[in-house]
Amino acid sequence: MRSVVILSVVFVLISILGPFLAPYDPAAINIPARLSPPSAEFPLGTDALGRDTLSRLLHGAQWSLGLAFVVSVIGLVVGTLIGLAAALGGKIADWVVMRTTDTFLAFPELVAAVVIAGLMGAGTWSLIFALSVTSWMRYARVARGIGLSLQSRGYVVQAQLAGLSTASVARWHYLPSLLPSLTVVWTGMFARAILGISALGFLGFGVQPPTPEWGAMLLDARVHLRSTPLQMIWPGLAVVVCVLAINLVGDALRDALSGAGETHD
Amino acid sequence: MISGLAALILRAIVVLSGTAVITFALLWNAPGDPAQAIAMARFDALLTDEVIDQVREEAGLNQGFWTAFVAWLTPLLSLDFGHSAVTGREVLPDLLSAISFTFPLAFAGLAVGLVISIPLAIIAAKHPGGVIDRMAVAVASLGTAIPAYWLALILILVFTVQLAWLPAMGARTPAHAILPAMTLGFGVAASLTRIIRSGILEARGQPFLPALKRRGVPDKAIGKDHVAPHAAVPVVTVFGLELAFLLEGVVLVEVIFGRPGLGPFLVSAITSRDFPQVQAVVVLTALIFVTVNLAIDVIYRMIDPRIGSSDA
Amino acid sequence: MLSVDGVSVKRGPKLTLEDISLSLSPGKTLAVVGESGAGKSTLIATILGLLPPWKGTVTWCGAPVRACRPALVMQEPRSAFNPVLTLRRSVMEPLVARKTSIDPDRIDRLCSGLELDPTVLDRRPTEVSIGQAQRVGILRALVAAPPLVLFDEPLSALDAVTQKHTAGLIADLQREEGFAAMIVTHDLGYAVAHGDEIAVLRAGRIEEITTPASFAENPRTEYSRTLRDAAISLGALEAAV
Repeated sequence: MRSVVILSVVFVLISILGPFLAPYDPAAINIPARLSPPSAEFPLGTDALGRDTLSRLLHGAQWSLGLAFVVSVIGLVVGTLIGLAAALGGKIADWVVMRTTDTFLAFPELVAAVVIAGLMGAGTWSLIFALSVTSWMRYARVARGIGLSLQSRGYVVQAQLAGLSTASVARWHYLPSLLPSLTVVWTGMFARAILGISALGFLGFGVQPPTPEWGAMLLDARVHLRSTPLQMIWPGLAVVVCVLAINLVGDALRDALSGAGETHD
Repeated sequence: MISGLAALILRAIVVLSGTAVITFALLWNAPGDPAQAIAMARFDALLTDEVIDQVREEAGLNQGFWTAFVAWLTPLLSLDFGHSAVTGREVLPDLLSAISFTFPLAFAGLAVGLVISIPLAIIAAKHPGGVIDRMAVAVASLGTAIPAYWLALILILVFTVQLAWLPAMGARTPAHAILPAMTLGFGVAASLTRIIRSGILEARGQPFLPALKRRGVPDKAIGKDHVAPHAAVPVVTVFGLELAFLLEGVVLVEVIFGRPGLGPFLVSAITSRDFPQVQAVVVLTALIFVTVNLAIDVIYRMIDPRIGSSDA
Repeated sequence: MLSVDGVSVKRGPKLTLEDISLSLSPGKTLAVVGESGAGKSTLIATILGLLPPWKGTVTWCGAPVRACRPALVMQEPRSAFNPVLTLRRSVMEPLVARKTSIDPDRIDRLCSGLELDPTVLDRRPTEVSIGQAQRVGILRALVAAPPLVLFDEPLSALDAVTQKHTAGLIADLQREEGFAAMIVTHDLGYAVAHGDEIAVLRAGRIEEITTPASFAENPRTEYSRTLRDAAISLGALEAAV
């Protein structure tokens, strides 16, 4: 668990501090230096408009990483609440919630996100909305599954007997048991969010230029594939490294949990 | 309780209805005038205000969400997807033509993925923890982190630009399908390898297997009758999820490689705000999904009648 | 006073409890004995007000039983406590839920009555012995002074020596606090030794309600006789009587 927290903190720090670490203004156009190879002056080279790629990557972290973080946390909160509502609300509430979850799951995430983001008009808010709306379901399923299995636990029954409010029961008696599994789900979803944001950026539906989002940078670099392939490699590499790091942490977490004998759906 | 199969079908119907409502809500709330969108679906791209107002009345759009929903849904139920707001042509034939390009590519990608992942998983599972196993898992983990569009660009870089072995853009020849299928296949293989491998390992760990061996049942038979079916369950599950992955991947891959298909169809429909086309894609993909998931649920019950609905 | 009137409970098409009637006055102990599967858990859930009966009523002084906030001591003390919280936190829960103020003297008094070192409360459930955990469970049940306390096999998780001791502690506390106690147990020796009345539960119905003396000497039904004889041959009953 700790490694997850550390990783998240590192990523969030990069997102926040990135802009300060960047040597150049990411929007600074410098046509004479366009598409130059890595050098002492421009460690990763420059893009088609002569903007320093390293600076753009660092600034882009705000969007590709930071936004993904926000989206995944929104999904986590919304999904957990919905899943708990299903577990705590009785048979009918459970059925309704599950069918709603199935309904949302019927749309493939990326296609749905593309449609929503596209129809709502490009921009940060529609991006957040589109990705959140298509990602809460996994949390809901896990929260519901674990929640249902917790209902027969002794201390949950005791809390109900004592007359503790449902909210307090959820907060004190359900959440601690939910957290490990939900965190594992979250790592996977954070990775998906990063991939999703950059995919949408690559398709042109996500964060708009001149914002240096990694997917959009890839889109720009694509045109110059033959002449300057490196410009295409860097943004993709950034995505790969981040996603890989998250996946590794997530795997380690999952292994640690199943070793400890935690059961979950 | 309703019998198992009927319950599954009922669920599918409920889910489909829900998707219809959500899709309509999306269109309803999208910036722009729904009446205009629907009018464009039925008539020419050239509209006058009077025609739009007439549509608004007919469609009961001034009467609110649910009336308009019914008006919207009715033609869809008879698979009348209307006319494109942009081209004026009927949506369904264009959509089907797009699909006719996409499905073969998707299957090709899936085939590539299976061809890579199944043997790899079996070999890796033979010696868990061994060199091949660890390499396979590492490569697979790497593979799930690589975005499809990046992989595509790299493959193009290597095979088209540097080596000039394979063509990239367009769909003129079957050779044009190789790189796209590879891109898709690698992605699929990355996740499938790990799942099949752990499925095999778990199936091998079943407690009664040593007893079978002691009784003299040949290894091959054990593999076929006991390990394979048990391993099949998580694989079948993943199939449903992989379908989603495949669909998303195909959209991206088609756009990158400049091929015709569902991807470009959807992207251009969204950019030009061609609602009839957009909703056709959404409705169709949802329909495919729900049907496939229903089929998977049914297959589950056939493999192992003990398994209840995927709810419990 | 607890009044259970013609209560039947259904689970699907089956009746898990059929036409149960009994009563219990403050300060008295009713021991409910029966085999596993006889419906003891269902009976507990119904009397606690957690499971609404299909027919009949469960009341305390005329009002629905939930109103008197009955407490429960569970069989397995470890799962009765949230492993994440300290025992003190869990013990306080009934008070916090009712927004009652916490009287530290009461806690201390109950602790000494249960022979619990108060510092035990600052530990987590996995850090104390089963005997201690069970006594903390009793503490939690009594902390808000409920008029009715149910005990579900309160001794079966404990070893033989601790069993007898804890049974005594419960009895002493009952004299002090004056609550009505319903003890569900398969231990006939315990039932006969500490119950004011014994109810025999079988397949969802009450076979008989009788005093411990008559149960030990002259059980009315065939089934009760079998139970008693079995207990005697195992040495459980002989030791108690």
